[in-house]
Amino acid sequence: MEDLERSLKGHPFLRDFLPDQVKFVVSCATNVRYAAGDYLQREGDDEHALFLVRHGVVTIESHEAGRSVVFETLGPGDVLGVSWLTRARDKAHADCRVRESTLCFRLDGDCLKAKMDSDPALGYAITTRLLERTYARLARARLQHLDVYR
Amino acid sequence: MTEAANPYLPTPRRITRATQDLADVFTFDLDVADGGGFAFAPGQFNMLYLHGVGEVAISVSGDPGDPSTLTHTIRAVGTVTRPMQKLRVGDWLGVRGPYGTPWPLDKAVGRDLVIVAGGLGLAPLRPLIVQALARREQFGRVVVLIGARSPADLLFMQDVATWRGRFDVQLDAIVDRADRSWRGPVGVVTRLVEDADFDGPNATAFVCGPEAMMRFVGRALVGRNLTPGDVWLSMERSMKCGVGLCGHCQWGPTFVCKEGPVYSFDRAARLLATREI
Repeated sequence: MEDLERSLKGHPFLRDFLPDQVKFVVSCATNVRYAAGDYLQREGDDEHALFLVRHGVVTIESHEAGRSVVFETLGPGDVLGVSWLTRARDKAHADCRVRESTLCFRLDGDCLKAKMDSDPALGYAITTRLLERTYARLARARLQHLDVYR
Repeated sequence: MTEAANPYLPTPRRITRATQDLADVFTFDLDVADGGGFAFAPGQFNMLYLHGVGEVAISVSGDPGDPSTLTHTIRAVGTVTRPMQKLRVGDWLGVRGPYGTPWPLDKAVGRDLVIVAGGLGLAPLRPLIVQALARREQFGRVVVLIGARSPADLLFMQDVATWRGRFDVQLDAIVDRADRSWRGPVGVVTRLVEDADFDGPNATAFVCGPEAMMRFVGRALVGRNLTPGDVWLSMERSMKCGVGLCGHCQWGPTFVCKEGPVYSFDRAARLLATREI
């Protein structure tokens, strides 16, 4: 458990969290490994977890007429899975496919949400960091949408 | 007393090599061996004249260390460049130049060198990369970041493979969209700027690509603690005379053909943020 706590602290998402906050969320976390071709989640799945990518490459994909389209690649330091925090609990709207053998922390959404509810400071810390990441991804998506190279 | 040369008179140059880089992008090598070759500095451009059709401003994309060949990489997009694409080896183009301000590579000596290219923006940066690698020992890290619309739109793949193969160059290419056959990163080029390994306060950056891309990349570089005066951009405007007289390329209070095309981001940022100029 102590090793997991130490390595969790090293992930950029949690790096500036207080030691007590990391200790508090560690019981929600598991270390998971995926092989190339595995899916962290597929379009239409319930989103039950927040993934903190430690190693490897994950592609965010969709498909059209039998053809896969990659929107973005994620790597070490990135996070994915936000819907577990929202009231609507939307289904995943893209495939998250492992391109290269990938190591993640998987934080169970229900467990994490219960801890965030019981400790508002922790809830605020996680929510603001998720919002920052989501905002940055939205900005990138807007730039992609501009299709500047056409 | 000698008569001054007419600045609008192009010199005819024969095409010695024609390469189709992409469906709408082509490269011409022009024979400039007579008269001692064609000297230019990376970042400068020429006015290329297609007989009976018109002139366009095109950056030089070749090796500044080889004055015997003049190379231009051109996108077939307008009334001059579309018929220009049909020219073949042995045909003639009129050339006058070189014009404009070059990339100030000497300002990067002793510092990390960050080069960010978007789409066809790699063409004006290619001479800079070639020159920087010829003087490799003068710089800290050399980082080349390339963005393109899709894998099929990546330019100069042979050069890119050579540069990537060097141990003293960090090169990354990212595309806006791809299928699964592309093994590199997918996303916008600002992502590469955020993640690349360089020392921001001790880095000088050279950026060329579509204006919106340069706006965002400039901000991302400043976000990595480069000072705006250490970020250099190459602007594109419709140029006619090439010598700062006609005013076609006016950009705010400047003429791009004469005071540009290379501007520092501290000078360009306000103009880039101004709409409809």
